[in-house]
Amino acid sequence: MESREEAIYNKSLAAMALVGFLSFLLLSIYRKPVDFLPFYGALAFLTVVFIGYFFTGWVIANSDKFLLLISSFLAQLGLIMLCRINLELFKRQVMFFGVGVAFFILVSFFTKYLLKLKIAPFFYWGATVVLLILPLLFGVEKGGAKNWLVFGGFTFQPSELAKVTFAFYLAGALKNGRITSFPRMIAEILAVVGLLTLSKDLGGAMLFYFTALIVIFVATSRIDLFAVGGGLFAALGVLGYNLFDHVKVRIEAWLNPWQDVPGRGYQIAQSLFAIAEGGYFGTGLGLGRPDFIPAVATDFIFSAFAEEFGFLGAAAVVLMYFLLVYRGIRIALRLRENFEILLAVGHTVMFGMQIFTIIGGVIKLIPMTGVTLPFMSYGGSSLVMSFASLGVLNGLWQRALEDEDDDEA
Amino acid sequence: MTRLKRNVRLVFIMFCGLFLSLLGYLTYFQVHERQKLIESSYNRRLWEQEESIMRGTIYDSKGRVLAKTVEESGGKKRVYQGGEAFGPVIGYSTRKLGRAGLEQALNGELLGVSQQDPMMILRQKVLGISRGNDVYLTIDSELQNKAYQLFRGRRGALVALEPNTGAVLALVSSPGYDPNFIEQKWESLYKNESSPLLNRAVQGLYPPGSTFKIVTLAAALESIPDIEFKTYETPGYVEVNGRVIRDYEGFRPGDYDIKRAFSLSSNSVFVKVGLEVGKERLFEKAVDFGFNEGVSFELPVAISRFPRFSLVGDDVELGEASIGQGKILATPFQMAMVASAVASGGRIMKPYIVKEVVTPLGEVKNISPPSVLKEAIDAITANKIKEYMVDVVENGTGQQARIKGVKVAGKTGSAENPHGRPHAWFVGFAPADSPKIAVAVVVENAGSGGANAAPIAREVMWQYLKGLQ
Repeated sequence: MESREEAIYNKSLAAMALVGFLSFLLLSIYRKPVDFLPFYGALAFLTVVFIGYFFTGWVIANSDKFLLLISSFLAQLGLIMLCRINLELFKRQVMFFGVGVAFFILVSFFTKYLLKLKIAPFFYWGATVVLLILPLLFGVEKGGAKNWLVFGGFTFQPSELAKVTFAFYLAGALKNGRITSFPRMIAEILAVVGLLTLSKDLGGAMLFYFTALIVIFVATSRIDLFAVGGGLFAALGVLGYNLFDHVKVRIEAWLNPWQDVPGRGYQIAQSLFAIAEGGYFGTGLGLGRPDFIPAVATDFIFSAFAEEFGFLGAAAVVLMYFLLVYRGIRIALRLRENFEILLAVGHTVMFGMQIFTIIGGVIKLIPMTGVTLPFMSYGGSSLVMSFASLGVLNGLWQRALEDEDDDEA
Repeated sequence: MTRLKRNVRLVFIMFCGLFLSLLGYLTYFQVHERQKLIESSYNRRLWEQEESIMRGTIYDSKGRVLAKTVEESGGKKRVYQGGEAFGPVIGYSTRKLGRAGLEQALNGELLGVSQQDPMMILRQKVLGISRGNDVYLTIDSELQNKAYQLFRGRRGALVALEPNTGAVLALVSSPGYDPNFIEQKWESLYKNESSPLLNRAVQGLYPPGSTFKIVTLAAALESIPDIEFKTYETPGYVEVNGRVIRDYEGFRPGDYDIKRAFSLSSNSVFVKVGLEVGKERLFEKAVDFGFNEGVSFELPVAISRFPRFSLVGDDVELGEASIGQGKILATPFQMAMVASAVASGGRIMKPYIVKEVVTPLGEVKNISPPSVLKEAIDAITANKIKEYMVDVVENGTGQQARIKGVKVAGKTGSAENPHGRPHAWFVGFAPADSPKIAVAVVVENAGSGGANAAPIAREVMWQYLKGLQ
């Protein structure tokens, strides 16, 4: 059994390397004058993947290798697009990827020790709040949301780290299967969501809110709370629509972008044009026009990808994200302790909702909110923290296997 | 299984749903939204492509060039060879003013961006072809020019259809304009009181006047069993709820059967017939002929309106509507469809103007094959109406439409309107026994239809039939 799985992993790895070699070679030749920088970048990237892959296998006996494989492949597809968009971003993203893989391994390794520490949920909540307050006090505004911190030459987005601490907080607060103090829980969650709204990170606020709702449901089986929460969200949405211009603009751009294409509908219209141009098979790598899409390196990278790789490529990406979500759920189902199960669910839900929010947004299924597409979008904080999140899941996977070993022994 | 794990499974099912909806919407998008977006004038890719693509040529049905792109020093230039008669149909395509007419409607084809076959796209990419598709219209430019000249600059429109297929043979809007000078003359064309930029044939809404009696007659033949044997006595006017509706001057009071009343276009008799038919059935029949419904055609066609009657004074409104007056409005395009329905045994074929599209690789695409739009009336009714319409031309108000040696069917109209003299209308087809061409003509404020519109229709039908022999 073991060796057959191993063979599948190795084949996947080889396929990924082949896709990488071909794509980046093509991109190198397309550049005028021919420039092999993308190809060298790809070599660096693939080296990191291989080292990461085998190193994980060596340090951690029973790792869920699919986590690293799929995320790396998605990151590679993201890099291919970034290379088309801006070579500078590409170079930095390769670096971030290296850091991300290092984080994945470290977090995978240390999660079990972290679980033994039994830190109080209030501490995680405090950390989340501090992380979200910092940018409000010292941060700078980028792309309409004030959620960036600048250290020297590096920018950092604390809300990405807050996703991890928030999942820990939820799991800790709900591990007894019930809400100990109702008003306190509501206050704590609304404080977090409120801080995100204050920094105008609507997508983030929505993500944290729904993750909290779903984890509460999983822990307490109270579908009524979920319904009330959903209703409250709708009410807040209507309120926001009437009170805040930036909410109104987004909802109107969603309902009918064609009313005002040069204005409020501009972003989503450009995104849809790109996806339409791609058709089923795509224009082909290097033949699309990502330069027409605004915020293409971050929020709209999926549209650029869909243009060049077509519906088939886009659907494949959606399915790969789905596989990651599936892996997360699978890990949750193998665990014993409530806290651990909720932790795995929290991370998976946060991750899955984020993917649905951004892909749904750029294809106009739901209103567009600016969140990144994990692993594909440009951005160090997002990439590194997404890997850290997977690291937590991988750590939990080892806990699950340990438990099962104990049973057998 | 603990409740916790059951809930985890529920969460997984939710995610299945969410991700499936992503895939489902992407699929829907590819199937339904894609084409529209590719051809959207907001799409910058299209502008880019236009720079590098030779826009396709537009030909008439005989292969004469109507619009083509030529390479000049310093770039490409669109040249229009159709003249004023084709202005409102072909439209224009310029960077400054955008696009109009068929240049807009067929933009995707002319640029070659609407082909969906990926192998074809690949072949063109490999072969380095950067030409759009050529478009062949169903219009014969000789007929179109002839018809345009017959208006002698007067405001009006003419639509000629091939009844059996729905092919548009001529689509005239007068006055027209020469698209070659659209940029230089934009200001004056835009402000001109005769609005040459408006395509009256498809966008002009006029009261149809007595030509609408064809619809009233159809409703009467289908719903009043002994109508053909009834006689109506008329003093030359009719009073409905205190409102007097008169026949035209020179109409003799007396006893009329419906055929004679149709031939001589008696308002008083047809108001009575309309009241007998009733508002529901007349409304339904108008809808059967295409009123109040859009028709999908390459050019946007204004919806012809038959009013839903208000509760107050509806007999007056119904009476007026029966003779094509009051709130009823029709495009010449709609009235040509009415004539075409009678000509082809009650069926309305879906009108189309693109005969075929030819790709740079020589492949021929038939983008609008003939299809039945709707069944307006049954064949027996259609044949009776045809017989009545022949009588109009042979013994009634439409004698100016007579062609020697050809049996012509028709109906005149002189539509009262608030802008001056009546609009002159004529709708008809020929030859009556095996119709090859159906026409609708309107000349604004020209007076009686028999004297002013029927001759134009005659010349156009004759010219076309001559060409067939």
